Amino acid sequence: MNKNLVSPSLKRGLTFGIVMIIFVLIDLDVMVATMLSKLFGANVIRGSLPDVRFMVLFLILFGMFVGWSTSSDDAKPTTKLFQALVAGLTLGVVLGLFDLILNQLIVTGTDVRKYLAALAPESIRLFLFDQGAISPLLHLGLFTVASLLGSLMKILLKSESASRFFKGVKSGYQGLKAKAQANTPNWVKKYGKFLLFLLIGLLAFFLPRIWGSYNNYVVGLVGLYVILGIGLNIIVGLSGQLMLGFAAFFAMGAYSVALLNAPLPHGIMLGFWPSLLIGILMAVVAAVLLGLPVMGMRGDYLAIVTLGFGEIIRILLKSDLLTSFTGGPRGIQDIRGPTLFGQPFSSDIDYTYIILVVMVLSIIIYKRLERSRTGRAWLAVKEDTKVAQATGVNIMTNKLLALCLGAAFAGLAGGIFAARNQFTGPNDHQLMVSMNILSILIVGGVNSIPGIILGAFTLKGLPEILREIENYRLLVFGGLLVVMMISRPEGLWPATRPNIEKDEGNKLKEDGAPGEGGLND
Amino acid sequence: MTDPIIQVKNVSKIFGGLTAVNQVDIEVPEKYIYSIIGPNGAGKTTLFNCISGFYFPEKGEILFYGDPIQGLSTNLVAWLGISRTYQNIRLFSNLTAVENILIGLHPNLKTNWVDAIIHTKRFRKEEGGSVKEALRLLDYVGLKGYGDFLAKNLPYGLQRRLEIGRALANQPKLLLLDEPTAGMNMNETAEATHFIKRLRDELGITIILIEHDMKVVMGISDRISVLDYGTKIAEGNAAEIQANPRVIEAYLGPGGAALSEKYKKQRLSYAKSN
Ligand SMILES: Nc1ncnc2c1ncn2[C@@H]1O[C@H](COP(=O)(O)OP(=O)(O)OP(=O)(O)O)[C@@H](O)[C@H]1O
Ligand SMILES: [Mg+2]
Repeated sequence: MNKNLVSPSLKRGLTFGIVMIIFVLIDLDVMVATMLSKLFGANVIRGSLPDVRFMVLFLILFGMFVGWSTSSDDAKPTTKLFQALVAGLTLGVVLGLFDLILNQLIVTGTDVRKYLAALAPESIRLFLFDQGAISPLLHLGLFTVASLLGSLMKILLKSESASRFFKGVKSGYQGLKAKAQANTPNWVKKYGKFLLFLLIGLLAFFLPRIWGSYNNYVVGLVGLYVILGIGLNIIVGLSGQLMLGFAAFFAMGAYSVALLNAPLPHGIMLGFWPSLLIGILMAVVAAVLLGLPVMGMRGDYLAIVTLGFGEIIRILLKSDLLTSFTGGPRGIQDIRGPTLFGQPFSSDIDYTYIILVVMVLSIIIYKRLERSRTGRAWLAVKEDTKVAQATGVNIMTNKLLALCLGAAFAGLAGGIFAARNQFTGPNDHQLMVSMNILSILIVGGVNSIPGIILGAFTLKGLPEILREIENYRLLVFGGLLVVMMISRPEGLWPATRPNIEKDEGNKLKEDGAPGEGGLND
Repeated sequence: MTDPIIQVKNVSKIFGGLTAVNQVDIEVPEKYIYSIIGPNGAGKTTLFNCISGFYFPEKGEILFYGDPIQGLSTNLVAWLGISRTYQNIRLFSNLTAVENILIGLHPNLKTNWVDAIIHTKRFRKEEGGSVKEALRLLDYVGLKGYGDFLAKNLPYGLQRRLEIGRALANQPKLLLLDEPTAGMNMNETAEATHFIKRLRDELGITIILIEHDMKVVMGISDRISVLDYGTKIAEGNAAEIQANPRVIEAYLGPGGAALSEKYKKQRLSYAKSN
């Protein structure tokens, strides 16, 4: 076998070896083993270590990943195995040498926690499978075999027959689906969707009552960010105007509700719903005032102007000058929650309901806008402003409209957010909020509702859930983001365009009109 | 001769020191196919840009049905009933073919965003109607079955047709076609020529055509103008233009008129076919 084959595999083994060493140094290996053991239902008490089996499992998975990724896609099976063998052996040797050092530490009883806070002797023992001097050999064997296994898996899953198998399954599934569609009685077709919605509705009604206030908090947060994502998507994704200070509109909503519905500093106590409405209006007014002067300019100006606007708003809110009016740096406390038919409607559960309902409404509004003359005009402006205008689209009004509607969603979310926390202050409206919302679109997928939901969950929900692993939260999170952006650069769930011609053809067929040929089914 | 649908009167467009269009006069009667030819850089596209509102001419007047339109923004010009295509295709490339045509329908639709959110009866009626109309146009320009393709994924010839489809959606009175057969092979060109004729004959649209392919121009034009360095140097029907010494000179360079008839024709057809 030639040298070109050996050296890349060697390098890979070396790289992954170093990665694993870093994992060990920051104790991430133990963390993952703990998570794996939880996955299998083992009850790990905080502070104690997981069973050694799970460490073995983690290392095997790691080795398999190395083998899988080292075998090149277009190589012959034997070549793949060879590549994996080289990488696995390298990995084993690197870690074996590392093991020798670790073992020395154990034997001499040195405690390195002074330098590496996370590296407790117990963790080291766990990594060495508690086998002392023979653990380098164990690791060498384990990684070699695991790497070969990973390669074998790739060979099997990506082989001709496997792909034929998957294709067969897929076409079989599609056939079944078509058959099922043809055979379903009409009432199922008509009410099936309705039943599904009913089921989701029931779940959305009962789950918040069952799963406790922490989950309600997380779900509410994700829901609010979905609403914000939809708003920003109208501006950025549909009409193509980059906006960096979206949190300013969020602040408009939050502070309107806070100032109009809290005992201090003004004690107006207008009630939640009217103040929410005013909050939305304020956000829209701000959008108009901000948008009008920059509409005529090139796209980037809006980004800069809104960025500045967002920061000015936050700094004004924070300034001592306005303390008597806005509550200053301390913010506004005791914001009164909403009522429904005279009854207070502001428990955790109630807020989850409110947010879910508003979220669903937002999605419906977004969908209807997107598939309308207005939505198409926005998309055209985004694609080619000059040509859109020459096709008859009024650029100014359409861009401004997008800005206002997007801002309205932000005002809405801001109002609910402030009431739910019973507090809002300048720190709720930092630049980071704007960036987070923009990231949701990029990570999830621009112009895609499922993408926005997934993005909001990944960026706002996952960090909350990952709180379990405190110290590594940001590390794991960052790693996930990097992997995601490499493997799915268009977002987790990229948008697709509607198949209008096909749908219309299907509609005609269902109506019993003579089927027209030439449709690309 | 019927009343002119559009009159370009003494129009000049200047870029810095360059007079791209120089005191050009053009009058196009209704239902004419009117061609504008001229060497590269003669100012043909610039003239289109003046008519469609992309440029504001420094001098002169452009009258559409007798009303001045120079200086109007492009969306108003489109709304009045002037549509155009572009020399280098400019579709909304990440949208589907049907969506491109639907956007072309924009000036004829009346519902607004509130209708869309509430899904009023008015909205559903108009939306259903516009989808039908878009599919009809898709078929008309020969893209049936390609409606759900992204514009950028269509083959080149179909992109040209889609651009015409989008322009037709506006129900234009006047259609400006900027080199619609550029980059097509002989068969496609013949088809496109026939199609342009159909637009006039079936839909009654007046067409101004910029074209380098002399076979197309001479075959379908009711009248032809020749631009050279921004100035109109000749106007007439196909035979008159072919015989005009100034035109030959513009295409072949000075002294061209002195060449022998036979050689001249040969050179002319060669120059034109490029
Ligand atoms: N926006 C502009 N700014 C400066 N100069 C321009 C601009 N647009 C066109 N020109 C110049 O004006 C002249 C006429 O250009 P125009 O595109 O109208 O020519 P054309 O007749 O369409 O040529 P072609 O056959 O190559 O399309 C050219 O010299 C061109 O460089
Ligand atoms: Mg040109």
